[in-house]
Amino acid sequence: MRRNTPLITLLTGAALGVILLIASMLSTPSKTPAGYNAAAPASSAATQPSPASVTATPSSASPSQTAPAVVTAPVKADYAGQVQGGRASIAISIHDGRAIAYVCNGSAIEAWYKGTAANGVLIMTGKNNAHLSAIYDFGKVTGDVFAHGTDYSFAVGVAHKPSGLYQATALVRGATVKAGWIVLSNGTKVGSIESDANSTAPSATQAPDLDVTTGTAQDGDTVLHAVAISGATGSGF
Amino acid sequence: MTTRQDALPPPSAASGAAKLVVPCLIGALVALTLGIYGRLHSPTGIAINIAGFSSPGYVKSWLATGATVFAIIQVVSALVMYGKVPRVSAPSWIGGLHRWSGRIAFLLAVPVAVHCLYALGFQNYSTRVMIHSVLGCAFFGAFTVKMLILPKKGLPGWVLPVVGAVVFTVLVLLWFTSAYWFFATFGIKR
Repeated sequence: MRRNTPLITLLTGAALGVILLIASMLSTPSKTPAGYNAAAPASSAATQPSPASVTATPSSASPSQTAPAVVTAPVKADYAGQVQGGRASIAISIHDGRAIAYVCNGSAIEAWYKGTAANGVLIMTGKNNAHLSAIYDFGKVTGDVFAHGTDYSFAVGVAHKPSGLYQATALVRGATVKAGWIVLSNGTKVGSIESDANSTAPSATQAPDLDVTTGTAQDGDTVLHAVAISGATGSGF
Repeated sequence: MTTRQDALPPPSAASGAAKLVVPCLIGALVALTLGIYGRLHSPTGIAINIAGFSSPGYVKSWLATGATVFAIIQVVSALVMYGKVPRVSAPSWIGGLHRWSGRIAFLLAVPVAVHCLYALGFQNYSTRVMIHSVLGCAFFGAFTVKMLILPKKGLPGWVLPVVGAVVFTVLVLLWFTSAYWFFATFGIKR
């Protein structure tokens, strides 16, 4: 009997792990696990309604969890606002664990970020040592961001279209041009454009004005077509 | 990581060290399984959680800190058992302390790992995260090896201390790349 106690320890831990995993699966909104349930991919795909019809807003999805799960963070969300001090705007979109963010002062200070969002913690990195860490919930995202040699703190709220993040890329004379705009709910709009987005440390200047209704901006003789980056719909992810 | 021990058996102890092969293979399989699951499964961003904490990150950080504290008890009690602490003779309860601190540390680490694998997955977008992902898988492989070889008799004397040291080192590095980083970034609170 004594010889087996380490094995019992192992099996207890494994059982605990399996129980927690199953409990987590049960507490996850049904939409998410359907995609990776490898045991019955065909049948679940056939019976699943189209993804668009089950898109729930983050705030309405939260209270319907099973009892032990405390969901403190949305799976899909968009945030936008000004950093503390108001010298730049920030927009963050979260979609199924992935996140895209943009910080911009409408001129040289700007950076794009990619990273993961999970359980209210957002960790993102960008080019040229840009990085962002934040905690988020259903109402706001709070954190610190480092862009173009500048540190900002921020606490910004949820954004709904047409406010939020827009991005346009184009190939101009062999270089990839990348523009980003952040539109706030009060109508404030800032944008910057990188003339060579593929370089390791892209430099940026003020972007041409974005027409939010048509999603276009005129950059010299080039028409930029912007796409909205939206965690709610998954656009841009 | 976990297979290293079976690669270097001293020739004199070949028969004893040979007993390590199967546990090490099983441990490697555990680590691989966790890593592959974490890589293939698309992270959900949410998982089961404990009420009373401000965010799941804090739950995990405190659980991991608890596991690390019990792991330190592991090392200290092991040193006492092996008579490596000067002027301290092993009390009769030291074996029980060692076994139970290990069990508690392991059981505290399991929910953290489930949350990591289910909600976050195996990631490599930064050095810290990549090291943490690799070590997280390696830890449970190494712990499995330790548990499987514990009941075996006739092992070379260095085996248990070495495997125990590997498990402890990996756990401390795991804590350093996660909970320590989390507390340093977001502050220490509940």
